[in-house]
Amino acid sequence: MATSARRVLVIEDDPETADQIVECLRASGYHTDLALDGTEGLQLGRIAEYAVMTVDRLLPGIDGLELIRQLRAEAVTTPALILSALGEIDDRVRGLRMGGDDYLIKPFALSEMLARVDALARRSPTALKETMLRVGDLEIDLLGRTVRRSGKEIELLPREFRLLEYLVRNADRVVSRTMLLQHVWDLHFDPTTNVIDVYVGRLRRKLDSGESYPLLHTVRGVGFCLRAPR
Amino acid sequence: MLLGKTLHSSTLRLALIYVGLFAAAIIGLFGYLYWSTLSYVHAQSDRSIAAERSVLDGAFAAGGRRGVVEAIDRRLRDRHFAGWSYLLADGSLTVVAGNLRAWPRSAAGERGWADIPGDGSRLRAAYARLTNGDRILVGRRPARLAGFARTLGFGLASAVGLIILLAAGAGISTARRSVSRIEAINVTSREIMRAGLGRRIPLRGTGDEWDELAANLNSMLDRISDLVEANRQVSDNIAHDLRTPLTRMRARLERACYQPLTAPQYRSLLGEVIAELDGILRTFSSLLRISQIEARNPRAGFRNLDLAALAREVAELFDATAEEHSVSLGIAAERGVFALADRDLLFDALSNLLDNAIIHGGRGGQVRIEAGVDTDGPVVSVADHGPGIPPEEHRHVFKRFYRLEQSRNSPGNGLGLSLVAAVANLHGARIRIEDNGPGLKVALHFPSPPENLAPGNSAPAGTELGELEGEGLTRG
Repeated sequence: MATSARRVLVIEDDPETADQIVECLRASGYHTDLALDGTEGLQLGRIAEYAVMTVDRLLPGIDGLELIRQLRAEAVTTPALILSALGEIDDRVRGLRMGGDDYLIKPFALSEMLARVDALARRSPTALKETMLRVGDLEIDLLGRTVRRSGKEIELLPREFRLLEYLVRNADRVVSRTMLLQHVWDLHFDPTTNVIDVYVGRLRRKLDSGESYPLLHTVRGVGFCLRAPR
Repeated sequence: MLLGKTLHSSTLRLALIYVGLFAAAIIGLFGYLYWSTLSYVHAQSDRSIAAERSVLDGAFAAGGRRGVVEAIDRRLRDRHFAGWSYLLADGSLTVVAGNLRAWPRSAAGERGWADIPGDGSRLRAAYARLTNGDRILVGRRPARLAGFARTLGFGLASAVGLIILLAAGAGISTARRSVSRIEAINVTSREIMRAGLGRRIPLRGTGDEWDELAANLNSMLDRISDLVEANRQVSDNIAHDLRTPLTRMRARLERACYQPLTAPQYRSLLGEVIAELDGILRTFSSLLRISQIEARNPRAGFRNLDLAALAREVAELFDATAEEHSVSLGIAAERGVFALADRDLLFDALSNLLDNAIIHGGRGGQVRIEAGVDTDGPVVSVADHGPGIPPEEHRHVFKRFYRLEQSRNSPGNGLGLSLVAAVANLHGARIRIEDNGPGLKVALHFPSPPENLAPGNSAPAGTELGELEGEGLTRG
């Protein structure tokens, strides 16, 4: 049995979508269990050994939100990613982001879904308590609000600091532009301009110029990834 | 047909109900008038009868039975007293004088009033016993009174009839009039359903409420046909805008199908196809987002937002973009400028304006974002020194997929300003396009927030001004 940190429960009634999600997650090293309806989803969800569950908003017989509510009532804290059509997005769905869960609007790019699952799977209480984060030769001091790369201090704007902190906390994971806008700027919409790319580009220049290896990578069609070479 | 409709019209039914109620009131009023007039006339008649009797009383006091007989005879000879009846009888009720054959049975007792039935009409009489035991009776046939009552009754009844007739006539003509106007609207609606949105309801030029209704319906029809036209335009544009990248994609895939490619070539081909698809998906997302905003309930999720703080945040986000385009980004948004707004939507709208300004403002240009309060209320504006938009294009630029000739070949999907317009509409804000001499200035004029919303209720605005001052936002 795989460790629970790599197990994802997929609750999805459309077989084709379910196949795509499962395939994508498996290719990224997750173990998946598939529930094709709400009842099965509830049964599997109660096992509570999953790192993340993806829940279709409209399941036969039950609303995905209701399913999550029932599991929460039974003290199951597995973070959930709701997959919802645009027309079904309302305040309750938006509220998920406040509660530590997340949502994604259909149709979605599988890479975006993977990035969200990664972010939810990674969320652990211990990581938030650290005051010093390191990736390769990059050090960020959350208390002193300072950043050093190979010992040299890098001057950052406050927002750039928050951006870097989010990237470092999600090191080795791909984060999408929408996720950055959401977590760094507290804005909930998909950017239609390339403003995020340019902003990240400037951070990259401050971070990587003159260094022996790049840390901040652009992942084409998806977003960005902070990664040190192994 | 019009008559049938008139008879079935609600106006007529209502008018007839009013006529009925009005007629009942009139009949009641006239009935009371008739009754009170007659009682007054009867009371008057009784008074003159009583006066006659006391004249006979006086004749008895002066000349005894003889005096009374003389007085009675005098009166019976006088034509003036035609219609009057007099009777003097002794103690055994034997007639002594007068023009009645016998003492009437109903006149019993010392004195009083009697209504004596007779041929044709009844006799109203007053009688009394004199001190010598004789009895006198004075009466009058109310023949003239009956005539008066008939005349009065006839007059009043005719008045009631006339009033009811007039009211019913007025009701029918009002109903006919409204039915004919409604019929004109009905005819036009049926024609619109049959033949299309081109028809309009004819106005009569009277300026009355019917004309107003017709004018309102006509402008509603104008608006609907504008929307239908805009919709058609949008689907045309979607079809056109999507066909180009899809055709390109198809050609690439087709070539790949018939040519053996190496693995890296395949990867790069797939990368290009994915990039094209992302562009198409972005266009769709923008379209959906605009429709979603247009369909949203206004004010839902609105907060009292500091527009100045928001402007600073947007400016901060675009700082790097401006730097990349060597555009100097200036900001004037120091004071708190408050309006009821949705932060996400407004941020998106301002992002689009700023992005446009930076891209179209030209390299090395200046872009300025301002938030302030003018006489009407809060204003946020974005201005550049680029080529601007010719005045004749102003009303088109907010249409979906509309692109100026000069910017056809620059990146963009022609949806940015449509989104700005949708967001502004949702906020009840006016958009003003101004000439920045040279350049373009787009200003959003917001309605003032209600007084009771103190700045303290504002949303967390994020970036503080201090964060920006140190870095210096204005770069060459």
